[in-house]
Amino acid sequence: MNAPGAVRQVIAYLVLLAVTFVICFPLIWALSTSLKSPKEVMATPPRLLPAEVTIENYRNLVTGKQQYYRADQSYVPTTAAPQHFTSWFANSVVVSLGSTAISILISTLAAYSVTRFRYRGRRIIPYFSLLGYMIPSIILVFPLFLVMAELRLTNSLWSLTFGYVSITLPFCMWLLWAFFRGIPIELEEAAMIDGASRLRVFVDIVLPSAAPGIIAAAIFSLIVSWNDFLFARVFINSIENLPLTVGVMHFFEGTHVDWGLMMASAVLMTVPMAILFMLMQRHLVAGFGAGAVKG
Amino acid sequence: MSQAADWKKADRRIGILFIVPFAVAALVFMVYPVAEAVRLAFYHHNPLNPAAASFAGLDNFRALAADPLFWQSFRQAAVWTFSSIVLQTVIGVGLALLLHLPLRGISVFRGLLLFPYIVPTVVIALILQWMLNADLGVVNWSLRGAGLIDENVYWLASPGMAMLSTIALNVWKYTPFVTICVLARLQTIPLELYDAAKVDGAGAVRRFVDITLPQLAEVLAVVVIFRTIWTFNKFEEIYLLTRGGPGTSTFNLAIYSFEQSVASLKMGVGAATGVVMMALLFVGSLIYMRVFRFDEEAAQ
Amino acid sequence: MTIRLEHIWKSFGPVGVLKDVHLELPEREFITLVGPSGCGKTTLLRILAGLESATRGEIWHGDTRVSDLAPGKRDIAMVFQNYALYPHMNVHGNIAYGLKVRGTPKAEIAARVLEVARVLEIESLLGRKPRQLSGGQRQRVALGRAMVRKPWLFLMDEPLSNLDAKLRVTMRGELKRFHMRLETTTVYVTHDQLEAMTMSDKIAVMDHGVVQQYATPAEVYNRPANTFVAGFIGSPPMNFVERAELAGGELALDCGPDGRIPIGASPLRNGFAGETLLGVRPQDLEVRSAPRAGAVPATVTLIQLVGSEKLVEVAFGAAGKLTAQVKADAPVAAGERVWIGFDSAKLHLFEPASGGNLALR
Repeated sequence: MNAPGAVRQVIAYLVLLAVTFVICFPLIWALSTSLKSPKEVMATPPRLLPAEVTIENYRNLVTGKQQYYRADQSYVPTTAAPQHFTSWFANSVVVSLGSTAISILISTLAAYSVTRFRYRGRRIIPYFSLLGYMIPSIILVFPLFLVMAELRLTNSLWSLTFGYVSITLPFCMWLLWAFFRGIPIELEEAAMIDGASRLRVFVDIVLPSAAPGIIAAAIFSLIVSWNDFLFARVFINSIENLPLTVGVMHFFEGTHVDWGLMMASAVLMTVPMAILFMLMQRHLVAGFGAGAVKG
Repeated sequence: MSQAADWKKADRRIGILFIVPFAVAALVFMVYPVAEAVRLAFYHHNPLNPAAASFAGLDNFRALAADPLFWQSFRQAAVWTFSSIVLQTVIGVGLALLLHLPLRGISVFRGLLLFPYIVPTVVIALILQWMLNADLGVVNWSLRGAGLIDENVYWLASPGMAMLSTIALNVWKYTPFVTICVLARLQTIPLELYDAAKVDGAGAVRRFVDITLPQLAEVLAVVVIFRTIWTFNKFEEIYLLTRGGPGTSTFNLAIYSFEQSVASLKMGVGAATGVVMMALLFVGSLIYMRVFRFDEEAAQ
Repeated sequence: MTIRLEHIWKSFGPVGVLKDVHLELPEREFITLVGPSGCGKTTLLRILAGLESATRGEIWHGDTRVSDLAPGKRDIAMVFQNYALYPHMNVHGNIAYGLKVRGTPKAEIAARVLEVARVLEIESLLGRKPRQLSGGQRQRVALGRAMVRKPWLFLMDEPLSNLDAKLRVTMRGELKRFHMRLETTTVYVTHDQLEAMTMSDKIAVMDHGVVQQYATPAEVYNRPANTFVAGFIGSPPMNFVERAELAGGELALDCGPDGRIPIGASPLRNGFAGETLLGVRPQDLEVRSAPRAGAVPATVTLIQLVGSEKLVEVAFGAAGKLTAQVKADAPVAAGERVWIGFDSAKLHLFEPASGGNLALR
């Protein structure tokens, strides 16, 4: 395709810049607000660049200080309880990593089994998995809650960890199945002829070859677990056990809202995902198995 | 003989062993909850008083049919879904065409595309609540400053605007999906097709209509159906912005189900709503399979 | 130790892929399984490797029955068509893997890998990953991986088919030299009859799961067992002429009184007479510009120059066609009337119905 003419190029770039603006502006605005002092946050008209950059919002968040709202000349407490931001952050990390680890483990073993062994029903398992992926979580959440209640796990991080396995496992399985199918079986046959046992073949040869797919599935799983609201809302009721998503919604309780604090929490909640996002970009370029097999 | 049989048997055992964790997890976390969800639909179940649960037959479904809020939720869900999908498709395809151009630095833009997907819904909902704040929000101030409106718009407090705001959130978050799928398809269209058309004398518009669009038709059909199925059942994108309000003006079936189980303490009715949603999902999937197989046959 | 394949049958579900394959592979020889795609040669190789198991039949290594042994326990090495190098290991790791798995001490591994790398001239590549190597280099690494374990049997599945033509010719010679040096029994699978002819001690020609002939290259070329083998081996392919009547020391081609070729005393043991299928190689035909007894008149339809030779296509009789191979400077031109001479010692007569070689009855 030939490059479009100069005028068209300019228009194209303008449109793309506008789109980029729309995509990024919310986070930029949140960052801007979070770096303003409470008095500047409330100032009108709102300005993009803070007149005075301050990190007090972040400090308040991390130290769990009381929220304040400026009414006239003084600061008035919002009557919302001191928050547990750092606990929430830790909870989110633990639960995301935990459920990802479990999902990846289960789906890696399962995907290998389904692609390399022959037994009844192995062909429908991936499609069954895909079906599970399509079920909206609102349908699953209350029965799962009852299951957790039965297992006496409600209000604990375990309930979330297992709960998230239920929503990440289907897609991980589907993704890894598609990936394993692409690994040439000759690699394993060569290793078997070299004298490796089946387990050895799995660890030495298959897993390294599947690494890009496993990483992709792990990233997906981390994103889904980190971002979920519904399960946490239903399963957990004590404030210290909440993950970030439900926790920050508690900032709305009280007579007024400390927007600076809220935006700071929004930014902090997005940072891990942004880092993951950048890692993901690099892995989309992985050209791992290209040279082992011809061409 | 023994050595042989041992090797193959042990091998097969490993295969079975590897699938067991998945089978267990699937049963406990996928099959059982869905079965329970269906069962609950036929029971009166108060989550605070589980012992008193009783069989309800079709009462819950009758309650749904009789509840005007259910039908209102259904209608609103349809409107919400339709508007979102149309916007996502039009903007998504347009963006894909734009990103397909061989401009310098285009990969930077492409890289940015999935960013909305990874932002937690809570985050974008919070930020939107702040930006759309009637008195302090940057949106109103900017629009007033540009002279486009005279008075502050109540983006989240008036029913029509609330619907618009939630649609905006949904479009912001998921349009990139459409763009990525369409872009991927665009990149596989052989350039020779365009060359052949040019030799045949076709102009730019003709080339788009006769070559690009038909190639996109399949992927668009798939994308639209998938997105429709998913959008219809979304919970967080609306709930976190408006709680279904103001009042019940942005209720959809997922929020209705949630409210029934949590606020009204009627888990049976909530489950019945879930069953209705699953039925619709099933119909949608059938349509998807029809379209997909139709395209496969057409391609042969 | 001789390897014996005893009455091997193999089917995948209802589809029969190998039918009663019965072969003896003498020690230290280079044996090729050759045939068109789908003939079952790769399946047979995989059964030898233990990657597939035969539906019926046994495999013996000497006096040991190995039919059910795991591949890793048969002391064999295999070179795959696509090389199957481990992508995440470097060349050294790839070659060393088999030794590592068997618990060979590190020092010994290093020594043996180096030795093999020297022989194959890939020492400088030991640190590289497969994706950084060219096709020819990858093939050597695959060979190295097979050689380093000093196995008792080499299996090769079309190892040259992914190389370009020139490299293929070079590698053919190299593989043959390796075989002579290593003195290990080698079973080689290819669809290229030229590879089979130049490299093997014995050839098994296969078609549709059946071994058509199992003999030395010379045998297979000079005394093909049936029309399939005759047509498959040799380039350019053999000419076949239908309805050649054999009677009274003469072969009468279906083209009038001029088409009679003297055969002399019947070459067929049981004095067969009647309709046969005549097979004659292009190299065994003469193109003469003047008539002669026993030469068939024909018209030249096409001439193709192949370097030092010319392929001359002629039409004779009602619908007969022949291709002859002559020296490039022979004075023949398209459209000319010529006389085709047949070397009576180099004629092959086949039974029309079964395709079997009548001389081998």
